[in-house]
Amino acid sequence: MDFSFTPDQEALRDQILEFATRELTEGAIERDRGGVFPHDLWEKCGEMGLQGLPVPESHGGVGLDSLSTAIALEAFGYGCRDGGLAFAIGAHLLACVIPVWRHGSEELKERYLPGLSNGSLIAVNAITEPDSGSDAFAMKTRAVSVEGGFRIDGTKTFASNGPVADLAVVYAATDPDRGFLGGITAFLVEKGTPGFSVGQKFEKMGLRTAPLSELVFDDVFVPDDSVIGGVGGGGPIFNHSMEWERICLPAIHLGTMRHLLDRAVEQARTRKAFGQSIGKNQAISHRIADLKVRLEAARLLTYRSAERLETAGTVGLDASMTKLLVSESLVRSALDVVQIFGGYGYMDEYEVERILRDSIGSTIYSGTSEMQRNIIAGWLGL
Amino acid sequence: MSEIQSTVKSYVLEEFLPGESPDAMDNSTPLISSGILDSLSTIKLVSFLEEQFNVQFEAHEISRENLDTLDLIAATVESKRHG
Repeated sequence: MDFSFTPDQEALRDQILEFATRELTEGAIERDRGGVFPHDLWEKCGEMGLQGLPVPESHGGVGLDSLSTAIALEAFGYGCRDGGLAFAIGAHLLACVIPVWRHGSEELKERYLPGLSNGSLIAVNAITEPDSGSDAFAMKTRAVSVEGGFRIDGTKTFASNGPVADLAVVYAATDPDRGFLGGITAFLVEKGTPGFSVGQKFEKMGLRTAPLSELVFDDVFVPDDSVIGGVGGGGPIFNHSMEWERICLPAIHLGTMRHLLDRAVEQARTRKAFGQSIGKNQAISHRIADLKVRLEAARLLTYRSAERLETAGTVGLDASMTKLLVSESLVRSALDVVQIFGGYGYMDEYEVERILRDSIGSTIYSGTSEMQRNIIAGWLGL
Repeated sequence: MSEIQSTVKSYVLEEFLPGESPDAMDNSTPLISSGILDSLSTIKLVSFLEEQFNVQFEAHEISRENLDTLDLIAATVESKRHG
């Protein structure tokens, strides 16, 4: 196996890291305190093409293959200090842009992909409901066929980007008895459509710059051409988007883990206690060695899975293994780095406690760690 | 029983019905509507079909109508092979 980057991949990585380091490092503490979504930075990321990395150039994207997309997202995660912004872009790209790109009609692609890719549109994925989280396909939201389209009724919750989104990818039951296979349909619904509104907005432990809300659909009419991928195809479409999300959001986490490692090494070399650098104590240095091992192992699995996104038919097992390993490694590493920083690590100005708070959600969103273990066990025939 | 049906039957028995007698399953045994295949196992079956028979499924094609029995699976794979 050859794990070396091509010259193009190296250039891409360096370009995105330079951009993120220059543009996406300031102001995160204040935005986190206020829970402020950075529209201006979203637009700058759009100018860089981050929201449309794998989308073909003919549809306004960058046209990267899946492995190069993961490499680019790691560089983004490494340089960007606003974890909420990084998450918001990941959720937009992986749970919204991917379904439109891979399953949408040519008309939907032409209408929406350029704006979704260049940052002028923000999208939200609407599947979770108050009574169905991990059991997503037990949804109550219904879409009833009417002349010329469908009428959608229901409430979605924990919708990332919900309060700021221009466009929603909405999953609704069109044949409730069929469930995942044939019973769920994916729709695109524009902001401003009569009956479509933002409900309760949520305050969160972390990722506070990524707004989260309920979305309410009250007899919302959508035309037939707003269906993504055919009536009844919503289950497999969602499943496919989760394969991308469970591999490429972790790619962003790799960048965060690399940043944590840098910070820990710097702190261990410069912070002195009892007459020597704290890194001379094995209690510190061994923790940092573990950060490095976790990062390298996580990267290998993530890159292998990312490459398989385009070479294997179905990568559900790879995706769940990647998501589980990387998210749990991220949380563990963030906790370790807060401990290495001691009292300073607990203060927000040192910006590691925020990474810890941001990291906790990674073992919950896109399917909890418990669900990933269930899926992995299922692939093993258990 | 065609080559497709036979191959898929062996796969389903081995993966999802370990220990079950081959006689318990024929070409019209419901797989999805009976609960033998849940959402994950259906995705696994589709992955197997894509790899084994060099075909591709669109999301909306992963449905009971196309995959509920060995007969339906064989017809779907055949139509993709010759489509």
